[in-house]
Amino acid sequence: MMDTLLLLALNGLIWGLIIALIALGLSIIFGLLDIINVAHGDFFMIGTVLTWFILDATGLFWPAFIFVPVIGFVLGAVIQRGIIQPIHNAAALSIVATFGLSLILQEAVRMTFGATPRRILPPIQGTVQLFSIEYDIYRIFAAALSIAALTAFFLFLQYTKIGTWMRAVRHDRETAIAMGIPAQKIFIFTFGIGFALAAFGGIVAAPITTVDFRGGVDLLPFCFMAVIIGGLGNLLGTAAAAILLALFEGIIQSFTDPTIARICSLVLMSAVLMLRPQGLFKGLAK
Amino acid sequence: MTRPAIEKCLLIGLGTFLIATPWIVPVMANKFWVSVIAEILIWSIFAASVNLLFGYVGLLSFGQALFFGFGMYGVGIGIDQLHLSFWSAFAFGVGAATVMALITGILAVRLTWHYFAIITIVFSLIFYFLAVRMKSLTGGDDGINFSLPPVFSFGTTRYSLTDQTFQYFFILTIFALCFYLMHLVTRSSLGRAFLAIRENDLRAALIGLNVYALRLTAFVMAGFLAGISGALFAFFGRYASASYMFYHVSGDGVVWAIVGGAGTLFGPVVGTTLFIFIREVVSTHWEHHSLIVGVMAILVVMLAPSGLVGLWKKGLSRIGRRDASIELNPKAKLRSQP
Repeated sequence: MMDTLLLLALNGLIWGLIIALIALGLSIIFGLLDIINVAHGDFFMIGTVLTWFILDATGLFWPAFIFVPVIGFVLGAVIQRGIIQPIHNAAALSIVATFGLSLILQEAVRMTFGATPRRILPPIQGTVQLFSIEYDIYRIFAAALSIAALTAFFLFLQYTKIGTWMRAVRHDRETAIAMGIPAQKIFIFTFGIGFALAAFGGIVAAPITTVDFRGGVDLLPFCFMAVIIGGLGNLLGTAAAAILLALFEGIIQSFTDPTIARICSLVLMSAVLMLRPQGLFKGLAK
Repeated sequence: MTRPAIEKCLLIGLGTFLIATPWIVPVMANKFWVSVIAEILIWSIFAASVNLLFGYVGLLSFGQALFFGFGMYGVGIGIDQLHLSFWSAFAFGVGAATVMALITGILAVRLTWHYFAIITIVFSLIFYFLAVRMKSLTGGDDGINFSLPPVFSFGTTRYSLTDQTFQYFFILTIFALCFYLMHLVTRSSLGRAFLAIRENDLRAALIGLNVYALRLTAFVMAGFLAGISGALFAFFGRYASASYMFYHVSGDGVVWAIVGGAGTLFGPVVGTTLFIFIREVVSTHWEHHSLIVGVMAILVVMLAPSGLVGLWKKGLSRIGRRDASIELNPKAKLRSQP
């Protein structure tokens, strides 16, 4: 019993770190561009599928870490410039547009990759003794990678010029533009980074889950939960909420089945929405 | 010709076509298309329920599939397990959807905008997962199949939906009633109050409208419409399944309503017709028809943000010099609280 609890809690924690990457992308896109990106789960899915293609073509897993985020960034930038920018501030329309985008991405993958889910073998195999259980080395590696990427992203946001611009545009768009910050370019960049983060999450997660054109569909509600519970636009809160939520689901799963666990976190999310719509961590973090 | 005159002609033409469908369409094309048109009518009611909330009150609901599912399961479970008659199963389904809309609405309409869109997704997901889980009652994703009880029986003659033509006219009648009801509501002072909230909820509150109660009213009405379409779809397919409660179904409804033209009576019908027609034509030749749906949704949003009906109105008002925004003008006649 303790072993299953530990195993599922660890799985949840690591899954939460990956979700945090994806939810961060969703959150910066929401915070800066003020649109609800319904296609964000599919950005993650594109990451897993690209990883599979690279593995298939070269026989190697590692090149994915270079190519996939770059491809993701370019795709994101193109999407923002080509689709999102022309609609600009109409939030309802942007939901329809990203819903259409989600259909296009899924269908394009189904045409090229096929409808059958596939598995990728972890590039690092073997297990390690962790307390009382044997645990996958790759999962620990995945956790380390996610933490590194999260840290890198927050450092980027805090200490680079573009990062500072992004925070400035989010804080007060008009003033930022008046101060000479190229807001349009920042929007394109933000969407690209959002896509790249989700795609990076896709690479890390590919050996843990299955590669499937519907892989983003189940993930999207979870990312939204993290963004809401963490507080819309609150990046640290989002990351923390993703990790806590996945851990919470993992622990509940050790007592009952995954569907019930999912229902519990959805109920938790509605409670947060009703009682603290600014998110759980309002006042704790900026 | 002025715009109302042209539109009246179109409406009469459409009505005649719909009434004559069971006889014309099998001659023109194929009998199969009669049931496609029946399906379009059902889904149009669903898109109308999204439109009532988004187009008239300004609330974007991504969870209408919840009420569709309740209508569907009300009928399915009513017939399969409670052995209800046709009309009581119908009332049971629609009633379940409406009550559910009231319960979720009490919580949901306290929020607006993004938060409203997200809480409606969350509510529908909770019940989707519950339906998947409670397999003994709902059949989960596989759903439940049932056979139809007769609609009317006079002595020995029975009218049942198994008769294709009767089924078509049954659906057409309900469709016509729903849209007539929508027409009445949008013309009433209630409809004007909805528009006032859509344009500016603060101002609406300041002139004495009870914004919360009005939003709740609209939410319950929309749930009622979605419930009717779900119940009809259950009768139409003799089948109810949890997969129809997933948020993709809600998303389809949103796309249909906005592409057709939100805030117009017939916009949802136009959008639904377009997409179901494309699906039926393309899917026989090419399995990737969703690609076209996605591209169309993006193109319409980029090129005609007020939807196809909005585009049509703009085009005609240029010719006929009629003010296209009569219905969209909230200042028109805002009397008192309904």
